[in-house]
Amino acid sequence: MDCPQIRDAFVHGEPLSEEPVKAHLASCPQCRELFEQDAELGRKLAAQASEALPCADDFFGRLEQDLVRETGPRAWLRSRPSRLRFALALLPLLLVLIAGGLFRQRADFAQYPMLRVALLLCVYFVAIALAVGKELSESPRRDALRDYLGLLAFALLVPVLAAFAPATEASRLAYPGGALGCFGYGALLTLPIAALLWAFDRDDRPSLRTVCLSAAALGLSANLLLELHCGNGNAVHVLLGHASLGAAWLAAWAVTRRLSRA
Amino acid sequence: MVSVCLALAKAGYIAAVPSDEELMAAYIAGDKAAFRELFRRYTPLLQRAMARDLRSLEEANDLVQQTFLHLHRSRLDFEPGRKLKPWIFTIALNLKREYFRRNKRRRETSLEDDRVAEPFEGPRGQERSDASRETARALRLLPAEHREVIELHWFGGLSFPEVAEAVGSTVAAVKVRAHRGYVALRAQLGDAAPDPESLHEGKPSVLGSK
Repeated sequence: MDCPQIRDAFVHGEPLSEEPVKAHLASCPQCRELFEQDAELGRKLAAQASEALPCADDFFGRLEQDLVRETGPRAWLRSRPSRLRFALALLPLLLVLIAGGLFRQRADFAQYPMLRVALLLCVYFVAIALAVGKELSESPRRDALRDYLGLLAFALLVPVLAAFAPATEASRLAYPGGALGCFGYGALLTLPIAALLWAFDRDDRPSLRTVCLSAAALGLSANLLLELHCGNGNAVHVLLGHASLGAAWLAAWAVTRRLSRA
Repeated sequence: MVSVCLALAKAGYIAAVPSDEELMAAYIAGDKAAFRELFRRYTPLLQRAMARDLRSLEEANDLVQQTFLHLHRSRLDFEPGRKLKPWIFTIALNLKREYFRRNKRRRETSLEDDRVAEPFEGPRGQERSDASRETARALRLLPAEHREVIELHWFGGLSFPEVAEAVGSTVAAVKVRAHRGYVALRAQLGDAAPDPESLHEGKPSVLGSK
């Protein structure tokens, strides 16, 4: 005799012989608790187990219709195993980082402190992986909104802080111009990641956590790419052209969410 | 293969009924009858789990339907050796949480009503005794994390390890939550005079002598 058997007997009103019950109760405080006071609580809970609720005749038919519509590239992508979706979502970022690092380096790359590069790559990439992993995971979403708002805040604030700590002397002395170009460059290169995150999302309407986590991942990705590409460390330029991308992606996802609700 | 087994089992030729996990494996392999059987098995459980918190049967049914749609989309995440029931309930609970996040404003305005009104109960709701209603009401007044564990264990039919898997917690934490829930339920039901006849509604007592 085990807990489920006792619980099922209660719920279905099946009689149990006393000896096995007593033997189980001797070793199980959870069930013993239910059997205290003449098992009153267990009986009251059992009385709550009601019969099946009515459902429309075509209930399964409607589901089948939905399943029939599950065709095409997005249906294929979103049904891939979560580990593969995670890897595929990060792949374009890696490719762009490698390509950007090799072909579109910032002008002062030679003077750029390598320790800062390594630190930035690690911190940003861990945060991006965390955001993407959380977003694509099917694990229980017990986490409160603040858990992923934390990631979003990180994505929005760290680039702002970076704006006030230019990496090289040349970047510190730069003028604020060219912010729009950086904004466009960052937005364009993170667009494939955004498209993949949208395609991989198994919800038909983006959830609030999808909005926050996607915006965090995209904002961080854009800032990481721009940090390697743009040598302009002027605070105004970085705030307008780099750090604002996190907020822009947040706004874009929020609009998508609102439109899908309508 | 599973569809043949189900047909034979229904016809009484064989006694063995495939487990949920076998059905899921068959569905992943392309057997649509297996999915239909899973739908038949889990719809009542999921409906009740949803209906306890929602105000209309349509909303509950919509979330049940979405649960199966998600099950279909996530089918390749199902690993052999894993239990299906906690996994389905994880999907269902995630959808329910998102539903309440999405409808937060509406829920906030109806919180006051929750003290007096009851969510959808089904056709038997009207027949319930006062004592039974009192228990349902006491359950609804429990903190969500305590109630969730008790409902999954009692009404969803999940063992404590399965409940822990479904809610993403440890078995010990789940047992503590259940214990606190039981204590709070006892406290709330303490003054309510039990009515054994109406509670059992003709069912035999679990412990025959009592």
